[in-house]
Amino acid sequence: MVIDMHVHPGFYGEISQDKNEIDFRKKAMGWDLMSAFPVDLTRVQMDFAGVDKLVLLPLDLTTQMKGWVVTNEEVRKMMDLAPDLFYGFASVDPHRGDALDVLDYAFKDLKLMGLKLNPSKQVFYPGDPMMEKIYEKCMEYNKPIMFHAGLSWEPDCQMKYSQPVNFEEVAIKYPELRFCLAHFGWPWIHETTALVLKYANVYTDTAMLYMDSPEIFLREVLTEQLGHLWIEHNIQDKVMFGSNNPRFRTARIKRGLESLDWKPVTKEKVLGGNALKFLGLEA
Amino acid sequence: MVKMMEKKYITEKEFQLIPVTQVVRDFVAESGIQNGVVFVITSHTTTGITVNENLSCLYSDIEETLGRLIPTNYPYAHAHFLPSYGATGGNAPGHLKSLLCGNHAVLPIKDGEIQCGFAQDIYLAEFDGPQVRRIFVQVQGE
Repeated sequence: MVIDMHVHPGFYGEISQDKNEIDFRKKAMGWDLMSAFPVDLTRVQMDFAGVDKLVLLPLDLTTQMKGWVVTNEEVRKMMDLAPDLFYGFASVDPHRGDALDVLDYAFKDLKLMGLKLNPSKQVFYPGDPMMEKIYEKCMEYNKPIMFHAGLSWEPDCQMKYSQPVNFEEVAIKYPELRFCLAHFGWPWIHETTALVLKYANVYTDTAMLYMDSPEIFLREVLTEQLGHLWIEHNIQDKVMFGSNNPRFRTARIKRGLESLDWKPVTKEKVLGGNALKFLGLEA
Repeated sequence: MVKMMEKKYITEKEFQLIPVTQVVRDFVAESGIQNGVVFVITSHTTTGITVNENLSCLYSDIEETLGRLIPTNYPYAHAHFLPSYGATGGNAPGHLKSLLCGNHAVLPIKDGEIQCGFAQDIYLAEFDGPQVRRIFVQVQGE
């Protein structure tokens, strides 16, 4: 099974009826010349890409921007509309007073599969004591966390909160909490590699960006800037395919990964096997 | 007299030739215009409109030749982060193929019918799919 772990459904037509809402999402995320499209197109694009599932990520910006970039309920709606295509995560703004209630509802009633947090956009350090109750709630439900890590594309959004080394104390304090440092923590790919290597509960995904071409960029980053065999010989069980769609197309990032001279078993794990383990779906 | 319609397609592949001849014929008939010209125009910068013969071997030759001239994996200048999109420009090959193909076709109308040669079919050419695509068909005449 091929799973894209990192998709923001900000332009899915079925949850993009309100122009003001679309404008808010664009402003919040620094998305600009993009527009809504129907789920039928997503289905065709997944068929073309050879991808079985997309993991949809919302973002709660209640205290910072008085809104959401896709709500938990909207993610649930997309999962219900096309259960064969989508897995869905929840989000919560850790600063809100009712954060635990939001999470209980998301995990118990909406049956969402994990939690998306963006320290840069939501303005917190991963080791902030405020976060303890959030992490404990995730462990209570055995839900993994997808943390934004590394470069933040959004305006007015500082990278310092999401530098990979800041997640180390979380990895130590909550060894049972599975979490992913998204985007390979780029440009801090060596910090990310160190954390993934050192801590059994830390994963990463490939939803970086690309320059030149997906093939060139991913080869340079994953097999040259990192040693040629570092991933294959050390962390092949902890790297997951992610695209960061809609910024980068799922098919193109997959194409770049498939072009690497990794063994088939490594590609199989990166493209889906590791995600099943991270999501708690492994048979 | 000028009449125009638009039609949407969801394309299925990165490269695809989608026959639109019948759509154009039907709109010309519906327009009532007996003598004039019909324009078929794409509204995108990574598609084209072309007239060619409906043979699978030619389809294959067109795809392979364009792919050879404009390879997918190449360090195009467009493949950098575009703040105006919030994304990397990943579709330089589509833009360049569109440049070669052109954005429209024109055919004459006589006695209420488009005048196509025996081998001529009109295609929407997708170079950056799958996407939702829109074409315009405009009939001018009397």
